[in-house]
Amino acid sequence: MTEKKKKYSVISDVRYACAVGATNTVVAIKGAVPIANCSPGCQLKTTAMLTFENAFQGSVAAGGGNMPSANATENDVVFGGIKTLDELIKSTLKVYEGDLFVVLTGCVGELIGDNVPDLVSRYQRAGFPLVYANTAGFKGNNLYGHEVVVNAIIDQFVGDYDGEKKKGLINLWFETPYYNHNWRGDYQELTRILRGAGLEVNVLFGPENPGVEAWKKIPQAQFNLVVSPWVGVKNAEHLQKKYNQPFLHIPEIPVGEEATAKFIRQVVEFAGIDKEQSEAFIHKEAEIYYYYLEHFSEFFAEYWYGMPSEFVVTADAAYALAYSKFLADQIGLIPKKVIITDNTPDKFRPAISEYFRDNISEGVSIDVVFEEDGYKVEKLIEEVEFTAGKPLILGSSWELTLADKKGALFFEITTPSSETLVINRSHIGYKGALQFLERVYSASVGGK
Amino acid sequence: MTTVKNRELRLGTIIGWDGSAKQLIEQSAYDERSVRKHGGCKGAGQGCRLCELQSPLNQETMCSNAIVQCQIGNLTDCVLINHAPIGCSSEDAKFNLTMHMGLARRGKPQQNTLNMSTNLQEKDMVFGGSAKLRDAIRIANERYNPKAIFIAMACATAITGEDIDSIAEELEPEVGVPVIPLHCEGFRSKHWSTGFDVAFHGVLRQIVEKHPTRKQKDLINIIALWGTDWFTDLLRPLGLRVNYLLDCASYEEIRQASEAVATTTFCETLGGYMGAALEDQFGVPQIDAPQPYGIKGTDAWLRAIAKVTGKEKEVEEFIESEHKRITTKLEEYREYFKGKYGMVLTGSAYAHGLISVLAELGIKNEAALVFHHDPIYDGAGKNQDTLKELVETYGDIPHYTVSKTRAFQLPQLLKRAKTDFLIIRHPGLASVAGHLGVPTLALGDEHIPVGYDGILRMAEILKGVLARTKFNKTLQRHVRLPYNDWWFSQDDPFKLTNDKSVFEDIEKRLK
Repeated sequence: MTEKKKKYSVISDVRYACAVGATNTVVAIKGAVPIANCSPGCQLKTTAMLTFENAFQGSVAAGGGNMPSANATENDVVFGGIKTLDELIKSTLKVYEGDLFVVLTGCVGELIGDNVPDLVSRYQRAGFPLVYANTAGFKGNNLYGHEVVVNAIIDQFVGDYDGEKKKGLINLWFETPYYNHNWRGDYQELTRILRGAGLEVNVLFGPENPGVEAWKKIPQAQFNLVVSPWVGVKNAEHLQKKYNQPFLHIPEIPVGEEATAKFIRQVVEFAGIDKEQSEAFIHKEAEIYYYYLEHFSEFFAEYWYGMPSEFVVTADAAYALAYSKFLADQIGLIPKKVIITDNTPDKFRPAISEYFRDNISEGVSIDVVFEEDGYKVEKLIEEVEFTAGKPLILGSSWELTLADKKGALFFEITTPSSETLVINRSHIGYKGALQFLERVYSASVGGK
Repeated sequence: MTTVKNRELRLGTIIGWDGSAKQLIEQSAYDERSVRKHGGCKGAGQGCRLCELQSPLNQETMCSNAIVQCQIGNLTDCVLINHAPIGCSSEDAKFNLTMHMGLARRGKPQQNTLNMSTNLQEKDMVFGGSAKLRDAIRIANERYNPKAIFIAMACATAITGEDIDSIAEELEPEVGVPVIPLHCEGFRSKHWSTGFDVAFHGVLRQIVEKHPTRKQKDLINIIALWGTDWFTDLLRPLGLRVNYLLDCASYEEIRQASEAVATTTFCETLGGYMGAALEDQFGVPQIDAPQPYGIKGTDAWLRAIAKVTGKEKEVEEFIESEHKRITTKLEEYREYFKGKYGMVLTGSAYAHGLISVLAELGIKNEAALVFHHDPIYDGAGKNQDTLKELVETYGDIPHYTVSKTRAFQLPQLLKRAKTDFLIIRHPGLASVAGHLGVPTLALGDEHIPVGYDGILRMAEILKGVLARTKFNKTLQRHVRLPYNDWWFSQDDPFKLTNDKSVFEDIEKRLK
């Protein structure tokens, strides 16, 4: 693994939670209950990062304050925490309504060597839908944890399958739940698009996830669709091995009509389903999209009080790519700097860098920077020389004071975000792209 | 000693109890503990241990490391290094927002927090993270040119045995500013408030001026969080300037704490350790008085301050004019809130203050929940028994529950006591309680209820909160909490503790 070569340094102004924050991946599955086997503080902190200080998106069901947590004590550290965990599991099963329970072990349990698999397997043998995952914070961030939890549920809950695969049925592996604050809306828009194109979509997270039965259905799908530069690839590879299920990896989340039409055609081609419905859908969506875009073009042409020409993006790999491409390719804004802050594994970095160089837009090439340390991110943005009026900075709330200093238009597209409230919003696909434009240019209008 | 004894050992703190406030006062034996504390016996808090209800089910909560972040992480010119895997820093953004709010409330210039994580990986758990910590201290010094560098211990580094004390000592001469180790790992104490003491202990050892050459006779330390500067309104008439510690403070503001004329606080839970230490070590007296909530409490608190500062005459004039000033408004509000019930769910001493304010407004409190109970505070002053003060002034609270952020108990708590709203501090509970049809007030600016005007400020806010019942009723009609029918049908919030037979069905299946 090339990951080993990376030298981990200090981080200021953190932009992700740790692996045990993948409790939120569980919360994103209807009827699933996370059981946090970690210290007090762990879940409050990850919640602060992912659900609160992240456009205040909030949580549901057994998330947030409802989340069972072992809250390890000195006693557990000295004498072992298995008894505490056993009591926690038992009382969670007693009190919560749930179809799936996932134990996520953090730093303490893993360092003191508690035998969690042994304990959980007792419950599994008795027929309780209980799963464990090793998600110590020192093993990786919440994106890493997300992939670990997904594989754990597949192995311990979904189980073996050697039945038929259903043509046209796809499992959607998209963004990490609760990480990008638009994830719920984005899941809905992508699902709408894929369904519109004639595919049957198995939605595993978010508002359109019907519950754990979707997970049981995973092995029946024709293939796995991964829409992300890297998150979820590990899961798709695992599914390929486990169920002999192929996967289609599309690194770019489509934003705007042209990118979305291309995306649909790529998926439909791979699925080998009839193209009539997808082409009709593309046609209909395009008509609506350009109906709106034509209206917008009046503002774009006539607004004579100034608007941004140059932009900086700092975000995770998926949205840095999606938004940079849309702004550069479809609107014609000039990218000055793109910084990826999600600790993308080394093995994916060359391909992502190449994508930014060669696949953004004709005549546009971006040298993307991978940097997680907020102090360095700030320095990188500080040294950008903006030469075309008021710049646009898309980032996290850590960039707020810097954006003020630079006199830039600023809004938050990544965690942490404390100047934004999101309920149901998407900036991707057809509808989301137009909402994205609304947001960019709302920041521009008026006496700002 | 760089470490602080946990609250459960020092004060006898508990996090599980259920009964009436009167019963808890009796069982706490504050006066005996107070005598023992002042008698020079170092084992204060030992002896009559309070009975504590253990809960097999716990939920998302706070830790001492988070408290250190919220205290030390919000200093304007010092860096906090979390010597930990990255997750321990994931609340930094929230404390950054809190600091921005606090700076705005205090009229200080906006800035981001100065924070850093050593970002430890799996191999650091095996081979140790000392080299990274040394690097981090040097980098922190270069980056931020701070007045002091703090190192926070975390669960992982405490287990692997990182020697933050030695590294701090070793690097201090090199970086030329105090390097201060804080032993605040999350598993260490059963209650997060130990984190306050750890933070104060660190600044007392290495920042507060040890040999004050001058006394600032008009400076009074207020142990606070990020609250709006309403203490000035109360203390300026006595010719006093406030020195808020620790949030949003600078190195210099902390350093001068030993030069102040006295120390007081908005909450004995928070301020006890620092107040007592400043008194013991530097002769800065702590104000031995009830907390400044409600009319009687505020009167007594002001008089105690006046006594220490020699402003007895001024204070009587001030008290009289303040009483007069608020009377009409207060009567209006009492009329407005007639027949209303409230419930407070916060840390313990602060809850006592808040309930006093509600009682002044004529709002009844049948129940309250505190996240911990300290049978004694570090100050142990004769007049600092906040729970007794509350009950003697405003009457008993029949359902007084001690329970650390266990949201699953809320249905039972709300079932057995009437309430029209809840006041909550600490994240996680308000959003859950909001599902039960009752509006909630997450009280972020902790100074709102302080003093005479605090009563009126609370009244104004509560009018808005009561109106929000509409939202909570809608939520209640359509959204269900994740607990099952069996749990909703229970009446005892500590059913899982008090009746082990409830687990028989699960245990049978496991055999």
